[in-house]
Amino acid sequence: MTKAAVAGVGATPYYFRGESAPQTIFEMIGKAVMAACEDAGIAVTDIDGLVFYSYGFDAALIVEQLGIPELTFCSVVGGVGGGSAGVLDLARLAVEAGRAKNVICIGACQQLENRYGTSLAGLATTPQGILSLTAGLVGPGQSLALIAQRHMHKYGTRREAFAEVVMSSRAYAQTMPEAIRKREITLDEYFAAPMMADPLCHYDFCIESDAALAFLVTSTERAADMKQKPVNIVASAHGGKREWGRAFFWLNMPDDVFASAGAASIAERLYAEAGVTPNDIDVALLYDHFSPLVIMQLEDYGFCKRGEGGPFVESGAIRHGGAIPVNPHGGQLSECYVIGMTQIREAVQQLRGTAVNQVADAKLAVVTGGPAPIPMSGAILGV
Amino acid sequence: MTETTTTPDISHLSIPKDPWTEPFWEGTARGELLLPHCGSCGTHRWPPGPFCPECRSQDVDWAPAGPAVLYSYTVVRQPAPDGTNRIVAPCLVEFPEAGGVRIVAALVDTPLDAIEIGATLTLGWNRHGDDNIPVFSIG
Repeated sequence: MTKAAVAGVGATPYYFRGESAPQTIFEMIGKAVMAACEDAGIAVTDIDGLVFYSYGFDAALIVEQLGIPELTFCSVVGGVGGGSAGVLDLARLAVEAGRAKNVICIGACQQLENRYGTSLAGLATTPQGILSLTAGLVGPGQSLALIAQRHMHKYGTRREAFAEVVMSSRAYAQTMPEAIRKREITLDEYFAAPMMADPLCHYDFCIESDAALAFLVTSTERAADMKQKPVNIVASAHGGKREWGRAFFWLNMPDDVFASAGAASIAERLYAEAGVTPNDIDVALLYDHFSPLVIMQLEDYGFCKRGEGGPFVESGAIRHGGAIPVNPHGGQLSECYVIGMTQIREAVQQLRGTAVNQVADAKLAVVTGGPAPIPMSGAILGV
Repeated sequence: MTETTTTPDISHLSIPKDPWTEPFWEGTARGELLLPHCGSCGTHRWPPGPFCPECRSQDVDWAPAGPAVLYSYTVVRQPAPDGTNRIVAPCLVEFPEAGGVRIVAALVDTPLDAIEIGATLTLGWNRHGDDNIPVFSIG
């Protein structure tokens, strides 16, 4: 059976919110797509599949601007962050089914007038979501603060653990050439920061930034003839359970699911397909829009027991040389936020052996989307 | 002196409704907090919608929500026009006698040091045009 691999990665520079102007988002997407083709050593005209992550997909404009002659596969993974790693799942299905040979996955964001930090205001203006707004919940950070608060209540998780996620991320970011937030912070600085949505302070929120990234997914056979060392899609999944679909807006998840990142069922499917356990994973690229959700994903993905994520990170487990290095690129908290796409890029770099903060001999990486309402997503990549 | 939570400024909002949420707002207009359950199998649900997620029946009954308990909360400081911060506390309210259904609402007029998960809540109202928005407080 045909298997799929990531054979090319492309990205624009990383910009703080608004600083990518006067480029349009489609100009940035074009640059990322061309860079991914260049990285793999194929022509832009060899592209025959497009997969997009959410927000404003305009396939006609992309193929027109780049002169791509024909698409035999074209689709979009939906969601509000949860589906980001799902682009690999969708692209892989197209390649394995023989529907397309060279599928480009795209994720991009540009925050000019619209800031994602207040994105619930638009999404919740519905008969079913309006109570979020009358309650004063205008952003995902505030909704997820309710979940973080419950995790602290239920398991005794401390703000020191959230601080450690942030400080670890900053420590990694120092060596990343394009990181937007590079300065290391101390525990004292963390606790002195203004509160944004208790128990979350300023540092617990990811960066607001602009960039576009693109990935070429093709068959492992074709990838072997391209320029880079292929990175295999060992397992991939998107979807998720009904119970977790209630996150952000109605928040009626059962109590044991509430204080989680909603990724347990995705993780279970990934490990089953790959035939591996959390112990086999060398590096974890966890979607870090808000620091407490990194802790809950570590639990969902089985790197520690349920409820023990706080002490686990406080032990240094996610740092360089720790039990499971997390986001060695600095992640969305410190390097750049592009709805999960920088996590995919870093997984590929780690497995090629070309990462800046290389985890020695990395063979398997897990990449996650979300936590956000379903679709949730994840992938295990390997060499 | 400890700070006290206030009512969020929702003057810019209009309340979208559909036939399945209308009974909720008809209840609040009368000063009653009603929640939906299936007219066939009795399962409570939130948000209101056209089907029972358990049995797919379209029969729905509305009944008083009953006692309210604080399930979780956050505290947000919103800049106010006078340069000070308005302290609002979006919270999640659980109704043990309505199948454990929860709704999000503002926790108002409550000193920050009195907020405690599990606390019993008192229902109040935030008048908004023709609508009545449920709000809650402790003590």
